[in-house]
Amino acid sequence: MERRELDFAEAVREAIKQEMQRDSRIIIFGEDVGYFGGLFGCTKGLQQEFGEERVRDTPISEAAIIGTAIGAALTGLRPIAEIEFIDFIGCGMDQVFNQLAKMRYMSGGQLKLPVVIRTPCGSRYPIACGAAQHSQCLEAWFIHTPGLKVVIPSTPYDAKGLLISSIRDDDPVLFIEHKFQYYARRQPWIRERYPKLIEYVPQEPYTIPLGKADVKRDGEDVTVIATMMMVHKSLRVSEALEKEGISVEVIDPRTLVPLDKDTIIKSVKKTGRVIIITEENLTGSVASEILSIIVENAFDYLDAPIKRVCAPDVPIPYSPVLEREVIPQEEDIEIAIKQMVGV
Amino acid sequence: MNPNLISNELLIEMYKKMLTIRRFEEKIAQLFAQGLIPGLMHLYIGEEAVAVGACMNLRKDDYVTSTHRGHGHCIAKGGDLKKMMAEILGKATGYCKGKGGSMHIVAPEVGIVCCTGIAGAGIPIAVGVGLSIKLRNTDQVCACFFGDGASNTGAFHEGINLASVWRLPVIFICENNYYAISVPFVKAFNIKDIAVRAQGYGIASAIVDGMDVLAVYEEVKKAVQRARAGMGPTLIECKTYRFRGHHEGDPKMGLMYRSEDELREWMKKDPIVKLKMRLINDGTLSEREINEIEKEIDAKIKEAEEFAINSPYPPLDAVKEDLFIGG
Amino acid sequence: MVVIVRLPKLTWTMEEGLITRWLKNEGEMVNEGEVICEIETEKTVDEIKAPSSGILRKILIQSGNVAKVNQAIAIIGSPDEPLPELIEFEERRIKISPVAKKLAEEYKLDVTKIKGTGPEGRITREDVLRAIGELKEKKIELPGRLIPLSRMRKTIADRLSLSARSAIHVPITMDVDMYEVKKILDNYLESGFKVTYTDVLIKVVATALKEYQKFNALFTENGILYVDNINIGVAVATDDGLIVPVIHNADNLNILEISKRLDELIEKARGKKLTTKETSGGTFTISNLGMYDVQMFAPIINPPEVAILGVGRVMDKPVVINGEITVRPTLTLTLVFDHRVADGAEAAKFLQRIKNIIEKPFNII
Repeated sequence: MERRELDFAEAVREAIKQEMQRDSRIIIFGEDVGYFGGLFGCTKGLQQEFGEERVRDTPISEAAIIGTAIGAALTGLRPIAEIEFIDFIGCGMDQVFNQLAKMRYMSGGQLKLPVVIRTPCGSRYPIACGAAQHSQCLEAWFIHTPGLKVVIPSTPYDAKGLLISSIRDDDPVLFIEHKFQYYARRQPWIRERYPKLIEYVPQEPYTIPLGKADVKRDGEDVTVIATMMMVHKSLRVSEALEKEGISVEVIDPRTLVPLDKDTIIKSVKKTGRVIIITEENLTGSVASEILSIIVENAFDYLDAPIKRVCAPDVPIPYSPVLEREVIPQEEDIEIAIKQMVGV
Repeated sequence: MNPNLISNELLIEMYKKMLTIRRFEEKIAQLFAQGLIPGLMHLYIGEEAVAVGACMNLRKDDYVTSTHRGHGHCIAKGGDLKKMMAEILGKATGYCKGKGGSMHIVAPEVGIVCCTGIAGAGIPIAVGVGLSIKLRNTDQVCACFFGDGASNTGAFHEGINLASVWRLPVIFICENNYYAISVPFVKAFNIKDIAVRAQGYGIASAIVDGMDVLAVYEEVKKAVQRARAGMGPTLIECKTYRFRGHHEGDPKMGLMYRSEDELREWMKKDPIVKLKMRLINDGTLSEREINEIEKEIDAKIKEAEEFAINSPYPPLDAVKEDLFIGG
Repeated sequence: MVVIVRLPKLTWTMEEGLITRWLKNEGEMVNEGEVICEIETEKTVDEIKAPSSGILRKILIQSGNVAKVNQAIAIIGSPDEPLPELIEFEERRIKISPVAKKLAEEYKLDVTKIKGTGPEGRITREDVLRAIGELKEKKIELPGRLIPLSRMRKTIADRLSLSARSAIHVPITMDVDMYEVKKILDNYLESGFKVTYTDVLIKVVATALKEYQKFNALFTENGILYVDNINIGVAVATDDGLIVPVIHNADNLNILEISKRLDELIEKARGKKLTTKETSGGTFTISNLGMYDVQMFAPIINPPEVAILGVGRVMDKPVVINGEITVRPTLTLTLVFDHRVADGAEAAKFLQRIKNIIEKPFNII
């Protein structure tokens, strides 16, 4: 079989392109997605291939971008709306949580909203310091809003399969892309450090079901549940700790709604020790929710208090030394694991 | 306006629709007073000419986005009274199986695809409907109803601008009833007419007497023709007035913040009375025929009421249904 | 009236203490102020006195066990009055993980007999399996002898790690001419007093700290505490590890008083007899490795202090004075300071002041 390797943005682009070729009802729009090809290149070449009707630049109007996607989806199209940074989604938040998420339910199931909102999140330290309004991980807001599916892939393979599933899904999906994951091609050290950021991705379209976690690494001593960039950081730490005789299992939930509780619980029952690692602010986080689920479902299997490794409850500061301090680093993960296994 | 262009059948149809809305809303007020309605009711009484005048220009496959004060739009577009009433009473047989209520009645089979309780939120959604029409290459249109209050939201600005940039077939119909709950127009706007804002977006606009169903009909007709011809959106401001409070239970029916004189002046312009007088005066309908129409409508309302009251509440299992298609 | 005896917080950093010995038995009469037990905290041995008179009704933490600060360790009361339930609860509280508890119940093990090896002494699944006999001990790869960390060693390790992690250590170094100090020491010796370089350095540093308050400070959660008194700690090596007795108000003592006090403290340290008071309250530390022929070194700051002076060996070095090469006894001093609290120039001035006092020590004798 041909070994073709894609980075994260290329995988996203290939998914959109192949789906647009398959189904003419699919359109994509947002700030800078047209001729420019998206701030991170995820829609490069799509307007040239599919034309200005289906691949559209919009004004800076987040409420209109999301509202337009809703209206189009209600009347027969399958729109992909891009919010340029997840930090901007607040400007269109009413459309997300009061309209998009609730319309099917409050219509008693009469309406169907096949909308995908794609949006990048997360810290780009040390590539580019985005400060407080261009670096956030806000996924917890959306799991608290019934009616949205929330997808947070970590690898190119997962990105393509999950994005195709999201586009084919008849329900609204918030597809969050950690923007550090875009840079592995441009910055070789990133690939060296996190090898899974460029990987084999099959040419032909394929789907990965929403609600299926992936065990990124098998282990015995401790379960690490990590999302997006924290998956890569955890894998790197786990490789190093293997040499010290600590066996770490790394689970990537991949989708937060629906959440694959079974895979998580199964791993917890095996290891009895859990660390949940996400880039969000700690309080009210996805990590907190997963922790609650574990305590409710596997309390009797726990051999130590569950740990969360998250950002402290502060905005992301600009200075690189401060941003580094706020974002969970590999040494934080290493310390947490070692403390957990009592080394 | 040339009244000769409007057939008698159409005039009678308008009259029936407006009267249906009036009677339906009066029934709701009555049921509300009897404690039979569990929720918040925003009644359309006084504004019937806007919904009816606008919707008489629409085909069944045209779309409408509606608001918290949406009963009128639904009836004017051909919605089912029984399913509406049942929804308002929170019954399983309602349009939304009792999950939406008065503020969220959608009826996709007659084109009502959105009914939102957040002021202004329907505007960007109507833009998306317009985009869909354009890309599917049909000659449908979307009528987007909203109030004077919604005209001050960001969604209004973002939505109308985008509809203009993309030349979408959307008719933005502002029902200016002069009060955003209690805040009067003059305290929320430093302009006389909301319609002037259309200039800022580069679209056509009109100001209409919203108490005159024929005036509304004529203006919307032009806008619909432009939209079907691919000439883009229009903003139509209909000056109107609600005869009751913001919602049922609004203290003194809204007379805390409005004067009785003002209400009385507006009630003199009652669009239903006005059309009825015209139909009688020009000999289109006799008193007897008018009475028959009223009886016929009252019977329909009665039927809807009985259907709703006799319908069961939704089963409790329904709580978890209808969130996602795939469960 | 029932009085609950709780473990007091005896030093800034104390979190727990080991009950080494009960001097009274349950049922015995105790008088207010009477010593009822001995505890070992961090680096020292201390005594707990009865907070009121009465019968020692119950000992909650037996000797050999560790109690947290503020944890109930005993109850004093009149002979027959009922004891509160809370105490029973505290007594029974055993840290055990959920899975270990479940497993212990399955095998009907008495968890009070199982030794916990997890964080904070929690009984883990492994501990229970070991008790059942199902777990084979993991073999250590290299031959050798494993000695568990002593309390003291652990305290040293924890505090140094904390300091290394949090303080921003910056070392600066200066050579100091000891010619005049050596003359003073010789004079004292002639008069029958054995005074050491360390004694003199304590006086010098205390004098300099009066002018440079910035370094007589503690880094606390709430801010930097500039301490009014100058309390100099001196790092002392013992068989069990490092200990830092403190000479309180060193600036008010003369060199001979300092010398005498330091001798006493070192004697007590080696005999493990230092009290908590004698090892706490330090505001600045001096660490001297000169006797081991170390020329210079940069010690780790003793938290929550903000600076430490590393003292090397006094050695004869050729120096140029007034254009002539001559040999002088020379000492290399290294001041390590916490950059979060002070800047380089301030630290340099402070060290320079120490140098000046040493080279012209006439005001401190």
